[in-house]
Amino acid sequence: MASEHDERFMEKIAAVELTESEPAPASLKARVYSGLLARQAETGHLESLTKSYARGHDLCVFEQLVRISPVGETAKSLNICRVCHARVLAEHMDQPPIYWPGCPYVEFKRS
Amino acid sequence: MHSLGQRVPDEDQKIGSLAIEDSQLAAAVLAKDRKATAEFVARYADSVYGYIHARLAPRYDQVDDLVQEVFLSAWENLGRYRGAGPLEAWVMGIARHKIEDYYRARLRAPESIDDPDQIPVAPVTTSDIHDFLEQSERRKKTWEVLAQVSDQYRFALIWRYWDKASAREMAQKTGKTEKAIERLLARAREEFRGRWNHGQ
Repeated sequence: MASEHDERFMEKIAAVELTESEPAPASLKARVYSGLLARQAETGHLESLTKSYARGHDLCVFEQLVRISPVGETAKSLNICRVCHARVLAEHMDQPPIYWPGCPYVEFKRS
Repeated sequence: MHSLGQRVPDEDQKIGSLAIEDSQLAAAVLAKDRKATAEFVARYADSVYGYIHARLAPRYDQVDDLVQEVFLSAWENLGRYRGAGPLEAWVMGIARHKIEDYYRARLRAPESIDDPDQIPVAPVTTSDIHDFLEQSERRKKTWEVLAQVSDQYRFALIWRYWDKASAREMAQKTGKTEKAIERLLARAREEFRGRWNHGQ
C-alpha cells in the first residue's frame, strides 16, 4: 500500500521537468569545438578555408590571411585554430578578451 | 534561425537564404567544414548541457566530460543521420544514451548500505503533494531532495520517472533482476518521500 502511494507520489513529482534552460558555459562550447576539430583533423585535413568562405562563412582575420596567401589548398586546410591564442583564452575563460569578427570562439561567448 | 558567423555567400554556392538546414549542416560538418562545426556546437550545446546538467546534479564534475562525449559521438555517427527528423532530436538521442550508460554503470555497482544522513521516514499522509507549489518551487525542492539521497537512488529515480525507463528495461541494461530494480526503486521512493515530507 505504501509502495503504491510512493509510486503515485513520484509520478506527480516527475510531472515537473528537471531540465532548466541553463545555457552551456562559453568555455565549454569552446572546448567542445576544439575537441571536434581535433578529432576531424585526426582523419585528414579539414575543408579548406577557400571552400568554407565560398559556402558563405565569415572568416577571422587570421583565416583570411591564410585564405588569400599564395599557398596550396593543403595549407588552407590545416586546423590553424590549434595554434591560436584565441582558442586557449576561450577554453579557459567564459568572457575571454577576444573581439574580432569571424572567430567561432568570439561567437561562443555571445551565444 | 540564428546562424553563427554566416555572411552572404556567393550566389551559386548559397546554402540557405537565412540559415543552414539540418541536413545541410550535417553534410557540411561531415565535410569537415570548421564553420559548420562551430554552428553545430552553437546550436545544440545549450540543449545538451541543460539535459546532462539536470540528469547528473548535484555531481557536476562529470557534466563537461559527458557533453564533450556527446558531441564526439555525434560527429562519429553523423553519417547515419538521414534527415528524417530534426538534427537536435537526433543529438539529444545521443545525450540520452550517454546518460543511460552513466546510470547503468552506477547502478551496477553494489549498493551502499551505510547512509550517514539516514533520517526517519515520515508517515504516509494525503498531503504529500502541495499543489499550490509553483513549478519552479517544486523543481527547486525536487532538486534539494534528490541531492540528499544516495547516487544510486537518485539515478534510479531519474531514470525511472523522468526518463520513463521501465523497471524491466533498467534491469536488462544493468544486468540486475527486475525484482532487484523494483526493490531498489521502492527504497529510493520511500527515502525520497521521507525527505520531501521531512523538509516541509
